[in-house]
Amino acid sequence: MTTAARPTENPVRPVTLQETRISNRRRFWRAFRRNRVAVAGLIIVSLMALGAIFAPVIAPYDPIEPHYTARLQPPGPEFLLGSDELGRDLLSRLLYGARISLVIGFVAQGVAISIGIVLGLIAGWYGGWIDDLIMRITDIFFAIPGLMFLIVWVTIFEPSPVSIFLALGLISWPSNVRMMRGQVLSVKDLDYVLSARALGASTPRILFIHILPNAIGPMVVLASLGVAGVILSESILSFLGLGIQIPTPSWGTMVNTGKAYMTTAWWYSVFPGLVIMLTVLGFNFLGDGLLDALQPSRNTR
Amino acid sequence: MALYILRRLVQVIPTLFGIFTVLFILAYLMPSDPLRAVLGEQYRRLPPEVIEGIREELGLNDSFIERYVQFLGQLLRGDLGRSYILSQDVSEIIAYRFPRTLQLMIGGMFVALIMGIPIGIIAAEKQYTWIDHFLMFISLVGVSMPVFWLALIAQMLLTQSKYGIALFPVAGYEQGSLIHMVLPSLVIGTQLTATLARITRTAMLEVRGQDYIVTARAKGLPYRMVLIGHQLRNALIPIITIIGLNIGGLLGGSIVTETVFNWPGLGRAIVPAIERRDTPVILGILLFGSFLFIIINLITDLIYALVNPRIRYS
Repeated sequence: MTTAARPTENPVRPVTLQETRISNRRRFWRAFRRNRVAVAGLIIVSLMALGAIFAPVIAPYDPIEPHYTARLQPPGPEFLLGSDELGRDLLSRLLYGARISLVIGFVAQGVAISIGIVLGLIAGWYGGWIDDLIMRITDIFFAIPGLMFLIVWVTIFEPSPVSIFLALGLISWPSNVRMMRGQVLSVKDLDYVLSARALGASTPRILFIHILPNAIGPMVVLASLGVAGVILSESILSFLGLGIQIPTPSWGTMVNTGKAYMTTAWWYSVFPGLVIMLTVLGFNFLGDGLLDALQPSRNTR
Repeated sequence: MALYILRRLVQVIPTLFGIFTVLFILAYLMPSDPLRAVLGEQYRRLPPEVIEGIREELGLNDSFIERYVQFLGQLLRGDLGRSYILSQDVSEIIAYRFPRTLQLMIGGMFVALIMGIPIGIIAAEKQYTWIDHFLMFISLVGVSMPVFWLALIAQMLLTQSKYGIALFPVAGYEQGSLIHMVLPSLVIGTQLTATLARITRTAMLEVRGQDYIVTARAKGLPYRMVLIGHQLRNALIPIITIIGLNIGGLLGGSIVTETVFNWPGLGRAIVPAIERRDTPVILGILLFGSFLFIIINLITDLIYALVNPRIRYS
């Protein structure tokens, strides 16, 4: 995946390892910046993150306190995106909702990526029956319809934040294992790995210091796309009324409640859905752009 | 080829068994007091002996191993058990509801095929023009859209005159009625349409530079014939794979789509079953869904091996 450094400035001078790293990174950034889709994704994601972090500062109203005199107000100067059936400002609620969605997205995907990396490294490195066993287990989890698993899971364990993190992580790891394993297989027999082995490096050292950094690119792409998937899944769960039960508003729950006002207050279900879409789109753009930046061949074709 | 099919079939068995075990453990862990869920307030008023009797009758008192072995035995005989609450066998419920879900899945697939593939071909042909950028932007939006929200927007704009026009019925199912199928099919098919458009574009571009395409062009074959007969035909392998992988997604999408459109399929059955803690129904539908997914994957693999003989020998 990651190509060896090919310095263009001065091909004769020998290149030190330090320089190789820098030029690789610089090349990546250059490719990334040129990719408008990736930059757009990064901007969307950053804006969402800022909105979530500074929600208490930006939000014009309290997200939970009801104002019965201002129920279902259409978007206007007072309520930028309208208000809900209890007179709460939709924009404020969306800003606070960003906290839940983003935290869930990152933590659950963190769980999935960690499982994926560890199992993928082990399966790819050891091969044999260990590989077979891990891949069969992966197949099993891959085949269980994710959404159904989630629904059953929240029935067994209360839909607390931790159980939601775990459940979403558990349904998203199989593709990560496959990708990681493939990456390990592709570099395992390369000279630099062989020489590390010959020098007597321990297996964990080879796996985490030598193999992982060279295989991390595609995993980052997968993680970015994965966050998008997790946020979508969480919103579906909330929409079905099975999501995290806390007073803080979740985007999916808002669409669900807004559904009842479909013919009287369009803004109630439209804006939360729009925000979900925008966030997911941001992560998809980012992942897509990273993929392009990491695979120069995709650009030049 | 026969050997390959056999090997793939044998590989499927442990996977099926594993899925069964995982799902059974989940179902076993479920706070499985359907009595309490169904009876609610009345539950407390029933004498304990009666409750104990019903629990015994439903087999809720047996140990994990007993229930596991018993259920596995049943399953091998094709019996999925009986609903705790509805007086129906689980296989009956599935037999009634699956055709309706399948109908939606086929509708969604149809939408995806007639829209996704042409969009992908056009985008590939117009690579790097604004048409390409626009189509790919739209398909990323399609992938990013929450299904339930899309369903609500469709209902808002196309089924009522307050914010849109009343073209289609809001929800519901009618035997043989095509008009009831339009919106749910569009909604369930959107994600696959967008995915197919992206994959088709990539696959078409990958094939375009190959020697045999150049040869076909050089022979003076009409442009369209090369495009469809040579280029698309060879781009079909990744397209078929993606279709196979995404049928599971259609099944998952049916939960939300059927809930919003009140469509009497499998997805619409599972949410109430969970609310009532009707374990046999939940387990039955989940098993059925996963098995279906595995079978579809197997078929995809076999088709794949059929069109690409190199696979068989790896």
